[in-house]
Amino acid sequence: MKSVTKLIRRFVGILLFSILFLLFVNLAFFSITVKSHAANSHPWTTAKEAAESLRKTKNGYVMPDKMAKEIKKDGAWAVFIENSTGKCVWNLPNLPNSVPLKYTISDIVNLTRGYIDGYPTFVGTNKNGLIILGYPKDSFWKHMWPSWDYNFIANLPRTVLIVAALNVFAIFIIYMIANTKLLKSIKPITDGIQALPNGEIVVLKERGLLSEISANINRISEVMQSKNYQLLKKETARANWIAGVSHDIRTPLSMIMGYAAQLNNSRYLPEEERKRAEIILKQSERIRNLINDLNLASKLEYNMQPINAKKVNIIPVVRQVAVDFINLDIEDKYPIKWITDESLNICMVNIDKDLIKRAVSNLIQNSINHNVEGCEIYILVRAEDNCHIIVSDNGIGADDMQIEKLNASPHYIVCDENTLEQRHGLGLLIVKQIITAHSGVMKIGHSKYGGFEVDIMFPMEIT
Amino acid sequence: MNVDYLKQKRILLVDDEEELLNMVLSILNEEGFCNIKTAKTVKEAINLTEKFKPEFAILDVMLPDGSGFSLLEKLKQKEDFPVLFLTARGEDEDKFKGFGLGADDYMVKPFLPKELVFRILAILRRSYKDESPLVKLHDSKIDFASAQVIKNGENISLTAKEYELLSVLYRNAGHIVTIDALCEAVWGDNPYGYENSLMAHIRRIREKIEKNPSKPVSLITIKGLGYKLVAEGKI
Repeated sequence: MKSVTKLIRRFVGILLFSILFLLFVNLAFFSITVKSHAANSHPWTTAKEAAESLRKTKNGYVMPDKMAKEIKKDGAWAVFIENSTGKCVWNLPNLPNSVPLKYTISDIVNLTRGYIDGYPTFVGTNKNGLIILGYPKDSFWKHMWPSWDYNFIANLPRTVLIVAALNVFAIFIIYMIANTKLLKSIKPITDGIQALPNGEIVVLKERGLLSEISANINRISEVMQSKNYQLLKKETARANWIAGVSHDIRTPLSMIMGYAAQLNNSRYLPEEERKRAEIILKQSERIRNLINDLNLASKLEYNMQPINAKKVNIIPVVRQVAVDFINLDIEDKYPIKWITDESLNICMVNIDKDLIKRAVSNLIQNSINHNVEGCEIYILVRAEDNCHIIVSDNGIGADDMQIEKLNASPHYIVCDENTLEQRHGLGLLIVKQIITAHSGVMKIGHSKYGGFEVDIMFPMEIT
Repeated sequence: MNVDYLKQKRILLVDDEEELLNMVLSILNEEGFCNIKTAKTVKEAINLTEKFKPEFAILDVMLPDGSGFSLLEKLKQKEDFPVLFLTARGEDEDKFKGFGLGADDYMVKPFLPKELVFRILAILRRSYKDESPLVKLHDSKIDFASAQVIKNGENISLTAKEYELLSVLYRNAGHIVTIDALCEAVWGDNPYGYENSLMAHIRRIREKIEKNPSKPVSLITIKGLGYKLVAEGKI
């Protein structure tokens, strides 16, 4: 909203500034023109100079050639009227016939102010008389009544200032009104647009100039609401469906596992048959783990698994997971080495204990799943700036490319042709989901023991 | 370790699915449990309880005429015996509800038969500890009923804490018990900082049960993790 206000202010501001700027430019242009035409006072100067140059000789009046040439250059004519007689005593040879050769006082007044037969006239005097220059018709326009009210001229600077101030004030008022009006009509719309990304319900009044936009925003809000609702319904349905299916698989799978375990231990079956039963048992366990993972993954993805974070000491939590695995590994095929510094007994973190247990279990199970031949698994808890849980093994590990891929994979379930690797299980994905939900970081790499290593990290709580 | 007396206990098994009942029955029979009765409904289970007087029950949660939770409530009103839930419902809320009603354990299907047997024995040992005959170790015997160790024909008394530690270890005999679980069993909810005391107690127990306490064979240290009690004749 702030940016829109700014935008409108700037827009209206620029508009008004442009008006002022244009006005200024015009004024400047006008004054330059006027100044250049001030040169039009030159007929008066010429007339004055002509009068002064005229000399009285025995043979009458004589004008120097230079002066006469200058007058002729403008296409003007000239006559000289003597003071004593009022008669024309000298003239340039190009004098038109319509110009009279005798003048009364009233004629003199008229021609000084105006024209003779349409020729604009300019006069200059010397001690003997008056010289009249007549310029070609339509070459000058003469102001016939050049007088102004004295007060008007005396107050002119003040008047100009007041008018300018009034203009500026008017422009400011126009700016304010335009700005306010525009903002008022745009504000609900920008508010509405801002509310849209938060998923709020937006209902704008559909009237005024911008009613069409308001109406469209209302439609968008309605569509978004219904889409969100549909999506939520779909996600819930999907998560519930997965929960339902995994529930229904549990009982039949119990029987498969139960009987397979019995056959595996049966004294009456030959070795080969018992081996087959063992395979059924192992694969059923895999299905069981997958169901559990799938259920948790879908719940985490759709935010249906609440995170009950509490401040707990992580060491006993991880230690219990390690011990649970040792207690179940009867053949000792996957010996677990607890390599945490024995002086480290407390490392407080804010976590959901059950979920973190699950994450660490998944990491250990991951080492087991990928090393059919057996391997040693090392568990290390380290408290530095952050709390690290590091699970590594000396098994087959992974190459750089696989590790890069695993580190880059998203923490949600994706399913396209590029992700066939994930079909090996959801173990690491769940760990990533859990760690992400705890604002932690998970890093996959090479173990210094030669195999695979996963380092998960949480911010430590101050004890 | 002699657990035959535990396998004589009367066990009630409730599940609505006949196939599953048969399977669990065969697993338990094979392990030597010989006194088992089954029920498929809440009604059947209540009737059977009155006649059979079970000493332990395995209950499903979803039954055709009610839930295992309500069945447990009804059973607990009359008799007090340990109960294990064996169900396909794995949600945390269900588990909390089960434990809240006083169940001793909660197992989610599908399960490994061995794990079921182990958990049943752990519950029975805990519940019927006082009836236990002598627990035979490599160099001595523990008599939980009188809180004594018998070594070389000599009776040595156990202190309260030693008794508590040995009980926890015996209940999980053959399995590692973490340092934290042992501390918690003896010192309660805030068990941090007792690691050294625990080591001292373990040393004294070893003096009582081991022939050579510095080279223990019955009470073994698992470095960094915990301790394991090795009983003779373990199942």
